[in-house]
Order: sequence, then C-alpha cells, then structure tokens
Amino acid sequence: MDELSRAQIRDLMAQVLANQGKALPDDDGTDLREIGFRSLDFSELALRVEDETGEELNFDAPGLRRIATVGDVLDFLVTLQRQ
Amino acid sequence: MSDTPVVPPSTVVLVSGGSRGLGLAIVTDLLAAGTKVAAFARTVTPELAQLAAEHPDRVHVGAVDVTDLPAVQAFVREVEQRLGPVDGLVNNAAVGQDSMHTHTSTADLARIVETNLTAPLQLTRLVVRRMLGQGRRGRIVNVTSICAQRGFPGLVAYSATKGGMDAATRSLARELGGRLLVNAVAPGFFASEMSAVLGSTQLDQIVRRTPTGHLTEPAEVVPVVRMLLREQTNINGQVIVVDGAASV
Repeated sequence: MDELSRAQIRDLMAQVLANQGKALPDDDGTDLREIGFRSLDFSELALRVEDETGEELNFDAPGLRRIATVGDVLDFLVTLQRQ
Repeated sequence: MSDTPVVPPSTVVLVSGGSRGLGLAIVTDLLAAGTKVAAFARTVTPELAQLAAEHPDRVHVGAVDVTDLPAVQAFVREVEQRLGPVDGLVNNAAVGQDSMHTHTSTADLARIVETNLTAPLQLTRLVVRRMLGQGRRGRIVNVTSICAQRGFPGLVAYSATKGGMDAATRSLARELGGRLLVNAVAPGFFASEMSAVLGSTQLDQIVRRTPTGHLTEPAEVVPVVRMLLREQTNINGQVIVVDGAASV
C-alpha cells in the first residue's frame, strides 16, 4: 500500500489518544507534554501506520527525542515512510 | 593446600575493541604495567597506532572486525608469532544501541547479537583452545555492562547480549576448572560514548542516584581489569560492577 498522508497519520494519532480518553488538538504546534503523548504512544502510532502500509518503520531514539509537538510527530512519520 | 597451581599473571593480553574509549585505556594501562598487548578493532586509531610505534616489541595492533572469524584467527596467529602465546583476553569490542525494541530492525538486532555475543564467544573459544592445547593457564575478562543487571529503555538487545556474556562468564569459569580465571567487569554508564544513547534526563537521573555523584570513567574501570589479569586473587566467575553504587 502507498504511504499514508499527513492527514491520515493525524487521524491515527487521534485514535491513539481517543483510546486513552484524550483529544487531539487542532493546533499542530501543541506540545506533546500538554496532551500526555509519550514515547510509547508514538510507538503505537508508528505501528498503526505500519499496519496500514505493510512497511516496517524502524528508527533510532535520538530522532524521537527531538520530537516535541504534534506537528513534529506527523512530520517525522511522513519522512520516515519515505526512507 | 590444593593441587591446582595458581593461575599466573597474564603476560600477553589480547584486547578486542582496543582502539578507543575503555578499550584504548585498557591497552594503555596494561602496557604501563609491563604487559605485552595485542589489540584490534575495525579501525586502528592514531592513538592506538602511536602506542604500537612507541612499543614495537610489546604491542601488536590490527584492523580486524571482531565478527570476521577468519581475520580474527589470522590476527591471533600473528600475535603469537610476534609477542608469544596469548595468556590473557579482554573481550571489549561491542556495538551500542539506541532504539526501542519494537522499532529496531531485524538486521540491527542480528548485528548487535553477532558483535556483542556471538563474536566474543567465538574469540573466547579460539583463545581458550590455544591455551588449553598448549597446556597453559590464563585469564579472561569480559567487559559487560550494568545494562545486564538493570533495565534501560532503548537498550533491549544490547542488554541481552551483555547479560549473555555475564552468564557465559560464570559457566566458563566452572567449565575451565580453575585452569583459567574468567571474570566480567560491568561498568555503569560512561559520560561519553555509550551514554550518548541515553537522553540527558536519564543521565541526570542516574547521576542523582549515584552515591559517588558522577558517571563512571574508563580510568575507574581499568584498575579492575588489570587486577583480574595480573593480581593473584581467587576471584573467578564473578561480575564486578563499577558504577559508584548507582545500581545498588
């Protein structure tokens, strides 16, 4: 399957948060700490993207540590799909 | 008094991963202690090359990948010809990790296990076979990690390999019946190198929990390695943690 769009990844991110009773803000600049989106949530999101595309997404932790906002998450996964 | 003679101090020590960091510090320290040292790594750094130039009769170095068994075998033969029979081994070469287990590629998992577990077991087998076959005694020091005993995120495969080497240390000490002393040294996190895999928050947390108030330095580990290779002790099959009691 083709890679997911930024909007599709955003929908999946909203699902991850919704499962925890949280809402994904509209503002991509929202700090992840404000919404309690942690590294394991990022991992869950990446695995959901994998499920959709059928391609493994592997990455090192330093890149993950630079992620601070909702937009960073989306940008990271969009870029990762192309690697 | 036991009939088993003591294992003499090592006089020719082979150090894997001896080109930088702790490995280079071990090589330097053993040379200062009067030992002949053979060291290899994927790349011979200028620092290691300089030691070889300064001590041509006591140092032999080579660019060898520890996972390349034929190259390692050839290097050991060179060492024996140049320096004499190897009676000490320091398994130090290793690769680090910095990725969540779920997002570590299978190729990277295989590479970590091959470098950190399979390769040192093969090198140990090679060296022990030569020692036993020539009726010699010797000593082995495996450089493992506090990761083998405590959990740290992002280091799952790395920790597994270090735990494997700790376990191998105990079994090998038993198996070799006192003809070889086999021990491990498990440093805590160094301020450099491997600690780059931890975030600053994790490092600060480790420092706060360390009674000595600082991360381990290679200079604090080398005396322990030297003791295990050179001093007459009855230490065998042990893992000695050097981490300022951070893990206690």
